[in-house]
Amino acid sequence: MSLERKDDYDHKAWMKKKDLTPVEATFLTTLIWLDKRLRIVDYLELLETLYYRVNLQMPKSHTEQYNLDNKFWYWYPLYTLGLFSTLAYVVAAISGALLGFYYSPATTGDPTTAYNSIEFIMRDLQFGFMLRSVHRWAAQVMVAAVFLHMLRVYFTGSYKEPRELNWLLGIVLISLTMVFGYTGYLLPWDQLAFWAGQIGVEMALSVPLAGEWVAQLLFGGFSLGQSTLQRMYIIHVFLLPFVVTTLIAIHIGIVWVQGIAEPH
Amino acid sequence: MSDNEPENEEIRSDGAGIVAPDDETPTWSERKARKTGLSRLTYEYFERARREDQDLRTESDYVERDVLAFPTWPHETVRNLSIASFFVGMILFLSATMPPHIGNPANPSTTPAVILPDWYLYWSFGLLKLGPLNPEIAILGDQMLMADRTYGVLANGVVVGFIAIVPFLNKGSARRPVEQPFWSAVGVFGVVFALTISLLAIKNLMPMNVDLLFDLTFLLPFVFGTITYAVLKTMREGYMYNLNRRYYRLRPPR
Repeated sequence: MSLERKDDYDHKAWMKKKDLTPVEATFLTTLIWLDKRLRIVDYLELLETLYYRVNLQMPKSHTEQYNLDNKFWYWYPLYTLGLFSTLAYVVAAISGALLGFYYSPATTGDPTTAYNSIEFIMRDLQFGFMLRSVHRWAAQVMVAAVFLHMLRVYFTGSYKEPRELNWLLGIVLISLTMVFGYTGYLLPWDQLAFWAGQIGVEMALSVPLAGEWVAQLLFGGFSLGQSTLQRMYIIHVFLLPFVVTTLIAIHIGIVWVQGIAEPH
Repeated sequence: MSDNEPENEEIRSDGAGIVAPDDETPTWSERKARKTGLSRLTYEYFERARREDQDLRTESDYVERDVLAFPTWPHETVRNLSIASFFVGMILFLSATMPPHIGNPANPSTTPAVILPDWYLYWSFGLLKLGPLNPEIAILGDQMLMADRTYGVLANGVVVGFIAIVPFLNKGSARRPVEQPFWSAVGVFGVVFALTISLLAIKNLMPMNVDLLFDLTFLLPFVFGTITYAVLKTMREGYMYNLNRRYYRLRPPR
């Protein structure tokens, strides 16, 4: 009798018995080593169970569930606007990240550095003209799609009973989309951007009671300058992406949980 | 949690304690049976490592669900992918054919003749031009309660606030526009108003009398809203009639 402590389950003996190929043996050794330390099996099972639950819970697409395939396809474009706006958001995010490599939010110089970097992107950068165009159009399409999405939800009464909160969340999202558009509109720092910013400052100042505070917070002062551009930039590329992405995830998550409002 | 828990409660090592097992989740061994190669080996190891209770597995009452479903792969996936690529292609087509251009650099000393935000903010910009509607309070000696601009900014809040409370005003099970003529009319009013107020925002580009434009801005939504209401109300009569007819055909009145 050996003094060596043996497992109830002698994995080594088991492996010998299995007659494994070198690949399999290496894999299994690594797996056992890791699993003894990290208990991978628990997490794997958790994931797998989730996977099966999800697939068993929604075996049918909603068109089948309500047997609507014949009457529903005509309206399908209206029901896919949410997907469309999400896609446009993704396209805008990707092209925006690429644009961010070349854009610098500075009002120094004449014309300003910001303006010059846009000009550089449009004129000298390989594919830059198209890149900016894609970003801008993705933004335009997203706003349009979000607006039409809201109309669809309104006219099919999909905001009713269990979905009021998602409607409110949607209103927050459409507003943030517009803020996204507005802050992006200001970044090139051309005439239109500057004077749109001017109107923005005046609107912020017109808010009763909190006006000056709002103007300070959003525009970094009562007249436009470096701090305005900087804030618009940070809101556009740092703050809003996190917030809006999270909210979109929650928005879609709620749709998932509650199911798509029964289409007619 | 104490150390001296009853001994008869077995320590379950099959992982079933993580999520409550039910008849829809396949058992461990059933999952294993679907695998080959390395993943199969993984499962075999895990099975051993967990001292899996084979009896529990074989006694499981899990039944493969026998539903005729629209398969996620490839059907639903291909449908979604084709729609997605169509949409992305549309964006690329737009950007290739109509690229944006950039104006003159910012110059704080010259105000351009036309100041505009992007089109989707026209409605908000238009609300700033509601000055003529700002009530003059007689008691305050014909002074305005607030500046025109404040009035316009607050109008934004009113519009958004109204949209926000719609689900709490309009309750009930009606879904189709036909079933709820009033709220559909409100919707049409809103859409037309969004359009007209946007046009008011660009009034210096509109080739028409500004006063007329201002009046139309508030008149047209009511006109279209009323028409919608009338049409849907009429349609509803027929709709209800059809419903009732079908109902009576099923159970004829005594």
